[in-house]
Parts: sequence; C-alpha cells; structure tokens
Amino acid sequence: TFLFYGCSEDFLDVDSREKIEAGDSEEVFEPDDFVTSTYGMLTDWDYAFSWLGVTEIISDNADKGSTPTSTGTDKHFLDGLTHTSTTPSIAAMWERWYKSIGRASYAIEYAEEYGLTDEDYKNRLIGEAKFLRALNYFWLVRMFGDVSLQHTDLLTRAPEEEVYDFIEQDLLDAIATLPNKSEYASGDLGRATKGAAQALLAKVYLYKKQWEDALNYAGMVMTSGEYSLEPNYEDIWRVYSENGVESIFEVQARGEQIAHGVNQYSQTQAPRGTGGWGWGFNVPSEDLLNAFNEEGDTIRRDATIIFRGETLWDGREVSGSVENPMYNEKAYSSANLGDADGDKNVRILRLAEVLLIHAEAANELGDSNTALTSLNQVRARVKLPEVTTTDQGQLRELIWKERRLELAFEHDRWFDLIRTGQAGEVMRAHGKPFEDGKHELFPVPNDQINQTPEMTQNPGW
Amino acid sequence: QNTITGQVTDADNQPLPGTNILVEGTNRYAVSDFDGNFTIEASPGEVLQVTYVGFKDRLITVGDDTSITIVLQEDTSELDEVVVVGYGTQKKADLTGSISSIEAEDIVKQPALTATQAIQGKVPGINIINSDQPGATPTVIIRGLGTALSGRDPLYIVDGMPVDNIKSISPSDILKVDVLKDASSASIYGLRAANGVIIVTTKQGKKGKAKFSFDSFYGAKSILNPVEMANANQYIDYFNEGAAAIGGYSLQEDQLHNTDWYNELAQVGSINNNTFAVSGGGEHVDYYFSYNHYEEEGVLKDHKYRRGTIKNNNTYRLFDDKLKLTQNLNISFTNENPKPLGAFNNAYRQSPLVPVRYENGRWGQSFVNQTTGIVTYEAGPGESIGRLYSHGNPMADVFFQNEKIHTTTLQGGFTGEFSISEDLKATSRFGATKYYFDKRVFNPMRERWIAGDPTRTYEEFDESRKNATNEETGIIPTSWAYNSLSLEDIETFRWNWDGFLTFDRLFGKHHVNLVLGGSKEKTNVGRRLYGQGYEVPEKEQYWSIQHVSGFFDNVTENVYYTPRTLMSYFARAQYNFDNKYYITATIRRDGSSVFKAGENFWENFPSFGLGWTLSNEDFLKDSKHINFLKIRGGWGRLGNQNVPLNIDQIQTSTGSANQNYVLGPNQELMFGASVASPVKDLTWEIVEEWGVGLDLELLDSRLSGSVDYYDKTTKNMILLVQPLLNSQFAENFYDHGAEVSNKGMEFALEWRDNISEDWSYSIGGNFSYNKNMVENVKPAYDGMTGGSLNNGRITKRLEEGQPLGAWWMYEVEGVWQTQDEVDNNASIEGAAPGHLRYKDQNEDGVIDDRDKKFFGSYIPKYNYGIRLGLNYKNIDFSVDGFGVGGNKVYNGLKNTRTDNENITADTYNTRWTGEGSTNIHPGADRDIEASDYYLESGAFFRINNITVGYTLPDFSKYVSKLRFYFTAQNPFMFTDYSGFTPEIIGGDGGNPYRTAGVELSAYPNTKTFIFGINLEL
Repeated sequence: TFLFYGCSEDFLDVDSREKIEAGDSEEVFEPDDFVTSTYGMLTDWDYAFSWLGVTEIISDNADKGSTPTSTGTDKHFLDGLTHTSTTPSIAAMWERWYKSIGRASYAIEYAEEYGLTDEDYKNRLIGEAKFLRALNYFWLVRMFGDVSLQHTDLLTRAPEEEVYDFIEQDLLDAIATLPNKSEYASGDLGRATKGAAQALLAKVYLYKKQWEDALNYAGMVMTSGEYSLEPNYEDIWRVYSENGVESIFEVQARGEQIAHGVNQYSQTQAPRGTGGWGWGFNVPSEDLLNAFNEEGDTIRRDATIIFRGETLWDGREVSGSVENPMYNEKAYSSANLGDADGDKNVRILRLAEVLLIHAEAANELGDSNTALTSLNQVRARVKLPEVTTTDQGQLRELIWKERRLELAFEHDRWFDLIRTGQAGEVMRAHGKPFEDGKHELFPVPNDQINQTPEMTQNPGW
Repeated sequence: QNTITGQVTDADNQPLPGTNILVEGTNRYAVSDFDGNFTIEASPGEVLQVTYVGFKDRLITVGDDTSITIVLQEDTSELDEVVVVGYGTQKKADLTGSISSIEAEDIVKQPALTATQAIQGKVPGINIINSDQPGATPTVIIRGLGTALSGRDPLYIVDGMPVDNIKSISPSDILKVDVLKDASSASIYGLRAANGVIIVTTKQGKKGKAKFSFDSFYGAKSILNPVEMANANQYIDYFNEGAAAIGGYSLQEDQLHNTDWYNELAQVGSINNNTFAVSGGGEHVDYYFSYNHYEEEGVLKDHKYRRGTIKNNNTYRLFDDKLKLTQNLNISFTNENPKPLGAFNNAYRQSPLVPVRYENGRWGQSFVNQTTGIVTYEAGPGESIGRLYSHGNPMADVFFQNEKIHTTTLQGGFTGEFSISEDLKATSRFGATKYYFDKRVFNPMRERWIAGDPTRTYEEFDESRKNATNEETGIIPTSWAYNSLSLEDIETFRWNWDGFLTFDRLFGKHHVNLVLGGSKEKTNVGRRLYGQGYEVPEKEQYWSIQHVSGFFDNVTENVYYTPRTLMSYFARAQYNFDNKYYITATIRRDGSSVFKAGENFWENFPSFGLGWTLSNEDFLKDSKHINFLKIRGGWGRLGNQNVPLNIDQIQTSTGSANQNYVLGPNQELMFGASVASPVKDLTWEIVEEWGVGLDLELLDSRLSGSVDYYDKTTKNMILLVQPLLNSQFAENFYDHGAEVSNKGMEFALEWRDNISEDWSYSIGGNFSYNKNMVENVKPAYDGMTGGSLNNGRITKRLEEGQPLGAWWMYEVEGVWQTQDEVDNNASIEGAAPGHLRYKDQNEDGVIDDRDKKFFGSYIPKYNYGIRLGLNYKNIDFSVDGFGVGGNKVYNGLKNTRTDNENITADTYNTRWTGEGSTNIHPGADRDIEASDYYLESGAFFRINNITVGYTLPDFSKYVSKLRFYFTAQNPFMFTDYSGFTPEIIGGDGGNPYRTAGVELSAYPNTKTFIFGINLEL
C-alpha cells in the first residue's frame, strides 16, 4: 500500500457540480417543442428589417424611406439596386431560412424517433414541419435560384429543379397528413393546415409555370369550404380578423407580456420623426400610389398606405410633420407603439392570392372564363368594375396588375416582377440599374462563399 | 608515520563533512567529520586521495606538515550535472532527450517576480513573452505553439509535485530549472505534457555548518520605449484637416491647455526585494529556510504588487540512511492594488487640449465649445457644447479605481524514499496546493458621475435619481446608486500522489535503470463566492456586504467547481552499454475524468530515445580536441487535456425568442426548443514529435554546444467551428478539425576560459527557429477569425497552410489622392481622398473579405539570446541580450482612432495633406479598417541585463561573502515598432485568436536600474 492504493477507475467518476447532468435534469423535450421553434423562426428580427429590403424596398412598390442619412445598414443599396454579395440583408435571409430548414428537419427527425404512439399526431407534427421547410426553401429558391439542399451537400448548390422537387414532395406529404383548418382544436389555431400546404403548392406551381397543377391546387383550396373572402378589404389587417375566414397562413403575434411577435415588424415601418412612433422604413412609392389612383382603387389604396397628416381608422392622428409622405399601413398596429414585439400577425397566404393564382393559371391554359370569374371575385370586394376581356395577353397583364394592387407590401412584388419577366423594363423605367441576366437572382452571400469556396456564384455577381 | 590532522573545505571556506581521504596504495582511510576535520596516519611522500561527490578529486602529497587544509573545487563540468527528468534524475551526459537546464545564479541575476521571466533568452527553443505589468504572468511557448484554443501553458512540476504555476515561488529559492522540451523526454508526464514540462527544484540544506545569507536590491523603473504623442498645435492642425474633409466645426489656434497625458499618467516605478535564508545540515537532518519579500510599484500610478514568501525544505535520514523523508513547504501571500490598464489605451486617445483637471479642480473631460472652437465646457449664450470623443478621463479612472486583491498559496509535500536494497528504491510522494483569493472592488458611482462633467452637481445627481425612481414601487435603478461594492472569494485545492519503484544497477558494462509507478491527482476542488451590493457607508471600515443598502437588489453568485481527476501508470527503462550506446523507452497511460463521458478516456503515451556517445569510442577517446560528442534522437507522443468542451446543444428561452411561438385564439405563448450546435465528442489533443540532436565539447571543454532538430505535430487540434451559413446549426461549436505542425532548429554555443588566475571570461549564445503551420483542416472548418479590434474589425483568421493566429487583412496599395481616383477604382464604402487604398486582390471591382490577405503571424519565427561574462579578480561583469524576429505586431492603438482622438507626433508628421503629399500615410480623415499599414515588424533586440558586481575580499572571518552590484535591466531595446512594446501577450493569456500581438492596451516595456547586495555568513 506504500506504493499503490486504490487504483480503481471509480476515482475517475467525478460528480458534476457546476452543470446539472442530463440524468438529473427534469428537462424533457417533446417533439412539439421542436416544431414550435420552427414556427418561432418566423418571428425573428430578420423578418422585420432584412426581409423588407429584399422583398419590397428593392421593388417598384416601395422606397427605403426613413431619413436620407439613415441607411438601415444597406437598405439604400437594395433600394438603388446597387446591392452586392456582401449586402447584409441578403446574407441574413439566406442564413435565417437555412437555420429554419435545419430546425424543421430536426423536428421531423425527433418526431419520428421519439416514440409517439398517436400516429395522427405524429404525422401532423411532421406535416407542419414539412410545410415550414417547404416554405423556407421556396423563399430561398426564388431569391437565389440553385441552392444547396441541406440534407445532401452543404458545399455545392443543387439545381433549382431539384430544390423545387424537394419542396413539392414536402408539400405533398404535408397535404396528406395535415388537417383542415376547421379540423384543428381551437388551441392549435395558427398551425399549418392542409389548405396552407395546398395554397403554397399552387404558388410553387405558379412559379414553375405548371399551370394545370397550379389551377388544380388553387381550386382545391377554393372549393374546400374552409375559406372565403373577408367582406371588407381593410379588415384583413385588423386584430379581429387574425386567422379569419380569408387567412390561410399567417405568422402569429401577440402584444401582451411576455410580448411575442415578429420582432419590431410594426416599429421599423411606422411613421418616423416628430409625431411619429417608428423608424419609417419601407414606404410606399409614388409609383404605387399612382397605380392605385389610375385604377381608381381607393379602398385598397387607403388600406395599404398611411398618408402624412391623416387620421387612421382607430382615431390615431398621424402628425403632418412626420418624415415621409407615406407609410405601410399593412404593418400598422394600434397597440404596441414602438415596442420590440408587435402584435401584428403577418399574413403570408390568403384566399385572394389563391384566387389570383387560379385566375392566372386558367388564363395561361386558355380558359379565360374561369380566369375572369376568379379575378372578378377579388375586384368585386374592392368595388372595382368587372374585367371582361378574354384576350389572353391583355388578361395576363390585368391579372399581374391585380396582384400588385391586391398584394402590395405582402412581400411578393419583387418576385412577381422577376417571375413575369417585367423586372428589367419596370426597374429601368424607374432609373434603377437593372441588368438582365444578373438581377433576376440575388448573389450568394459572400460569407457563405468564404466558408465554402467550392460554391458557385450566380451569373454577373 | 605521522598523525596528520586536517580540514576539508569548499572554495568558500565551508567545511565539507563526509569527505573520503584515502592513502593511495593502502587501506588506510578517514572520513571528515561534521566540521570537515579528519586525522589519518601517513608518511611523508605518500599520496592522499581526497574525494567528495560533486567536487573534483584531489591528490595531495604528504610533506612534513602534520596539519593541512584541503580546499576542494566544485566539479562544474556540465556533463556531470544532474538533470531532473521526471520521477528520477540523470546525468546530463546520459540524456537521450532534449532537456535544457538553468542554474540558480542565472535565475536570480535577472530580478523578477517569477523565474520564467528570468529564463527569457537563456534557452534555445523556449519563447517567452514578458509583460512588465506588476504581477503579470509571462507566456511560455516551448518549441512552437501547438494549439489554437486549448491550454497553452507548460506543465510545472516543483520538487516532483505538479502545480498550477510558479508565481508563488521566489526565484531566490530555486536551485535549478530543467525544461523537458521534446516528446521523448516529456511523455513520462503524458497528457499534460503537450506544451512541454518545466521542472523546478528548490534549494535544500547541505551538510555542514549553518549558512546565513541576505540578499537585497532596490530598483527604479520607467517606460523603456515611450511614444511621443502630438502636442496641442499638432492636434489642432490634424483636427482641422479632418473637419475640413468631412465637415464640422474647427478648433481655434489659441487654446487653454497642452497636456502630455503619458507624462501625467506614468511615474517612475520601483522594485524592492529582500531575501533572508538559512540552511545547513547534520547527520540526520538537512534544513533550508527562507523568507522573501518582493514589492513592486508599476509605472502606472499606484499600481502595486507585493509578495511575501516563506520556504522551508527539510530532509530527514533514518535507519542508516535507508529511509529518506523530505518535506517541502512554500507559503506565499500577495497583496495587489490593480489599476485599470485601459488607462494606457485611453491616455493615447486623449486630446492634449483637454486638461487633467480644470482650474476649479474638477476633472477634465473632452468638452468642446463647438461655436467658438475652444476646448472647454464653458459656453456663452447660444453657443453649443459637444464632446471631442466619448472616452472619459484616464487619470480619473485611475483615481477612482479602488480594488484590492489578496491571495494566499500554501504549497508543499512530503516525499519518502526507502532503499529496499542497494539497487531498488521505493518512493512515495504526496503534494498539495491550497489557494485562497479574495478581491474587493469599491466603485464610487456618484463621484464618477460627477467627474463625467464639470457642470454636474450632487443636487443634480439626486434629482436624476429621483426621476429614475419608479413611483409605484419606489425602486431605484442600480445605475443611480451612490456606490457599489463587490467581493469575490475563491478557494481551490489540488493534490497528487505518486508512488514508484526505481531499480538501478550496473552489470559489468551494462547499466540498467528502471522506473515503474502510478499516480493520482485531483485538481479544481473548490468554490467561488461573489457578492455585490450598493451604497455602503463612505468610510472604508464599513465596506462589507453587511452594510450595503437594502434598497437595491444585491447579487450573490456561488459555484462549486467540478473537480478533475487523473489516474496514471508509467514506466521507463533506460539502458546503456559502456556509456556509449543509450536507449530509453517510456510509456504512460492516463485516464482523465474530464473525458469520462467519451468512449476512449484512457490513452497511452509512449516514447523512445536513442543515443550514441562517439567520444567514448576508441577512435575518439584520445582525441585532444573533441572532449565529448554525442548524437541522440527520439520520438514520443503527448497529450493536452485542457481543451474546451461543448456546452448544452439544446437552446430554450422563457422570454420572447425565436424558439417560441404563440398559438390559439388567445395566442398562448408556447415554449419551443432548438438544436444550436452538433454533438461532438471531444477528447485530448494529441501531439507527436520526433527529433534528433547533437551535444559536443571541444578544446579542453572550453567550447560546448548543442544542435537540435524537431518535427512536432498536433494531430487533432480543436477548433471553434463557425457553422456554415447554410447548415442547420446556429451556434459555434468545438470540434477536432486540423493539425498544426511545428518544425524547428535549436543551436547553443558557449566558450569559457580562464586566461589567468585573475581573468576569466565566457561568451555564449543560442538561436532557435520554428516554423508553425496549420495543416489538414477539415473541409469548411477553416475560417475561424480572431484578433478583434473591438470596433467590429478583426485581424486574424485560421486557414490551412498559414501559421496559427495568422494575420488576415487588407493590403494597402497607396492613399487615395483624388475623388476621381476613388470613383474610378474598386474602393470600399466611404472611401475618400486621404484614406488608405486597399488592393482589389481578386480584381472583381469590389473590395470585400475576398480581398484580404495573409501576412504571417505574431509568433516570432526565430529568437536568440547572447551572453557575455567577465571576471577580473573581485569584479564580475555580464551582459545578456535577447531578440526575436520574423514576426509581425499590429499597432491597434494607431489603427482604431475614431472621432477626434489624439495621434502620435509621427502620425502627424507623416500624414497625407493633399494630393501628391504622400502615397503611404493616410490623412487626418481616414477609416478604421484593419490593413497591413498598421502591421509592423515585431522584431526587436533588447539588452536584458547589464550587471557589474564587486565582491569584497575577505575582510572578516564572520563574513564569507559580501558583494555589491549594479544592474541595468532592459536598458536598451532596438526595434522599428512604433508602439510601446512589440511584446504583446494579449487577452486570455496569449490566446492566438484573441489580441496576442495586437497593441490595444498593452503595458509598456520598462527599464529598471537596480542596486543590490549579497551577504553570506
């Protein structure tokens, strides 16, 4: 014993004192927790600022806003179409969407392996995650074209076609397992539904110009009996119509403590300066205002635009001395003045868009009557005269215009411009240096290419 | 035959008990007694052979004298030196590995708090980066840096016991330091030896009379390499040029103040050291006792560090010397009053127009009357007051900093050695360290607030405090408390136990030495307690948590550390044939509790070494010129268990975070969870090294030297991996992801000679070269960045093929001369005439990260030391120098200037002043990007030490030695670097991806002039 005492391996078993060991922790993670965190990603700050830049400010609908010297980091570049691969907003969304995809994939894996006995519940959770994964991939692919599929190879980019195939499969799986909106228990209001997956798939087909499929899936949503148009257009953005009859999918937000919503979404877009209460970014452009006026579309104009000096529907007076002449009313919330977490549910998919997808697909298939029926439903709500032309070309233009006015500031305008091939002409008419063959896609973020030099850059960047 | 009586002493007249005296050719012999006395029967003409271990043998022919005194000279041949190799010792001549030794006299010659500071420049292959901040710990890099993020410190072993550091040991108590540099010798310490092993042996008593010594010195310190800042006029010019470029008010020529901030901030520091020691030994007990007091006041006002050390080493010999018990004890107390080092950085940035204090006694601040252009806080009606910059007054920071740190370290152990037989010895050793730390910080928040603006009053403070108070609850925000007090208490304990058997025997010409043993160690046993409260009474006597105000929320933190245990087995076999052929094989098997959760928490660390002493072969044995020649080589594996570990990978939050979501008609908050980082099973970093070396002594051993080559690779370096943007993970995580190699050469050469009785001299030098490179990085694992300038800019990046901590930044290709140039070339956002122009490396028309380039590393590629010693009669003189080269350092102070901070006089004199003025230096309006403009050569050569000493000739029989000396420490430094010091340890004790090599708030090098005495009784 002089030399060796107690040389047993127990000596190496040291009780942890600083950190509670997994076995002693009460913390158990349910599959639902990981699905929740995938939804939660939609409330990230990036959606309140970077997202505005790459979807709206960059387009003809919106300008940077705010004060001339306040750049919002890079919003002036996006507004001026002088963004580059190092523009932070682009990298922010790239990263945000990939992290969301990662969370969705983990949620799927966790739900599959956790040992849930209720098959329907398990499949629903998986369906929700697949819907969210598809949504994030869709946002990625329409912005960047070829992108890497996270589960296959992070170092290179998969062809756009393969990414769309993956999105399609996720959505078909989601459609097969998700309940209809009305089938959910009340406490689950806000989760992804079968209708949401169908509507998104219709939109995916629209982008892919698979008109037949787009028509079918839009039709399924329309005839599901789950949705109808909100009678008054402006009501769509009121608190009382959150998850209302027209709503297919929206980001959930609340204002009470603990406040939780899209971090600062209302604040970044609220009027700025003396008598204002926000940062004043992402403001309606003169061109958008003209578009409303030319159409005589006062209902949607007034629901979409806050004018300097006006009195809002809830009685709030917008001072005549705020910085900019117009602001985005769809982001406006009566509550949560300047609070970090707004109560604004951000509408992602709603029936009016499905009708317009339906109309566009039908028209492309030569069925102008069907197209007109769907189109005019949208117009009738906002008291605009029926469109009657059956000329495919004319009707196409009219449907595109309808999309612009109906969906202004709903984060689609730039991609509609690109998708329909109008972007170059429209942007150049506004004096923006749009280069054909380059600006159709955003550059892959420089930070990503630094990490994975094998990755190719989009043409022209 | 006569009866001869005599005494044997050493050169210092100290009696040598136990000396053997043999009459040659007879069996008559004697052994000297306790006082060195002996009697022996011998006839005139017979020869006495006098031998004593560690001394040269002497032959004395008996004459008519029956009373003789024999003086033995110490045997100083380096080859007979005993080297501590871990669980044993070896003669230097018998080594197969690469081990360097530093003797006591070399350590105490360079007055320092810690022995490692004194080693700088003395040993090839060891790169020491010093800081002259009182109480600072230098960084020690042995044979290149082998890790990015894990522990970088060598293993310290004191008298056989592992310790955290050697800061608590007085250099005067150290007998010698042995450094195990290569894997073949260090692998006996297994998984703690990756950064080399430093073995410290402290002094023991020697048989003989009690010896008293008293050593004392006092020195004065000042900044070695001051930087001249711009004066008031230069500052005004520079300011106005900047204002002209970007718009804004300008300053008037006539101002109120011209402050030299460094002059105000820096003082002549002092160092004072006193050591008293007594040692001796008898038949059964040897003893050594010492007390040391070290006190230093830095060049920053009131920055003090004091240390008291008590050392006691005793050895007891029992049972006919069969059992030897050794007891070591080291107690140290430190007492420190730190001052904010940020003051150096801040002083650099202060405008000379701002006074330390205004005429009315209030602290100066950077207020400026923007209407009149006068730097003052006073304004007439309608005039507006602004600030030049946001930094506060550094003198006020120093004034208000009220911090005290006390530590107590008790370190010691007990060793028992039992000789089972002549060949076999059993050793058991227990060592332990108990450490106490306490720190008290008093922060006069109200006074600081008042100092922030000369117009503020106490009434205003109370008014603001009232306004900030919550009306309903009455809660006052802590930021409006009058003062705060924080206390921190840390207590740690570590122990180790070793048991081993040593077998040593000569079978004819076969010499065998075997060691076999086991070891257990427990460290990090302890706790931390922290408390913070607000508004204690103003008198210092009441500064305790007991007296804090109940109005505020107090903070209490407490953690009990998770201990670490280590269990090991080790064995070493050494064999040599006829002192010609040597072979050593070692194996250590370590298990560590840190990796208990992993699958392979046991690991083997083998090594071997070979040696061939050519000079003992027949063909060289009689060579007149070659006295010693040996070639050796070896291979070994080492580990590093101080690795960073991944923390929980699942993230949750109870607030509003992007993990959570609201659902249902009432929008209930649902708490979610997400995976932040992948699960990576981490284990120790493994280092493998092979090397060859050659030792030689020529020309009557007057010339000695050695050459070494080594090739060392860390096989599985841990990186902090930034997840790919397109991966699922959000948080950085640790993973084994690269190799790092260190290849190098070491040379040492020394010439020593005695010209005559009166004259002797020595001249020596060493040189080492190391090439460091990151290799085999896993795909997408490189790109770890570091070297933050705290302004959003970084200066370092990890990449395959580059050294660790490689500089990575823009390359400057000139200065923008005109706006036209800016508009027609690739430029960064905000570029303007007078700004530096960065090269578009990839020629894509855009300046971004892809245009950044690698520029080498802050780690010197080579370092060297030289020494010169001269003795003439009673005068000794020596000069030591140290230098490094092949490295670059970053002048972050110069680079990070923002707003209207001050600049150096040199920056002022060389600046761009308009088109065509210079294409090298930027103008008054410039950006803050990191670029190679601010990256400068870090090469320097410094005279470390010049010492002249005079030893009084025997003037009293009670005084055996009295020496006076004068030392100039760091009197000269030769460097092109424009900052305060090219020796920059940086944050986190030299972490290559922190601010190592970046001067942002580095403590300046100091020079010290010292006078001292050595007295021995």
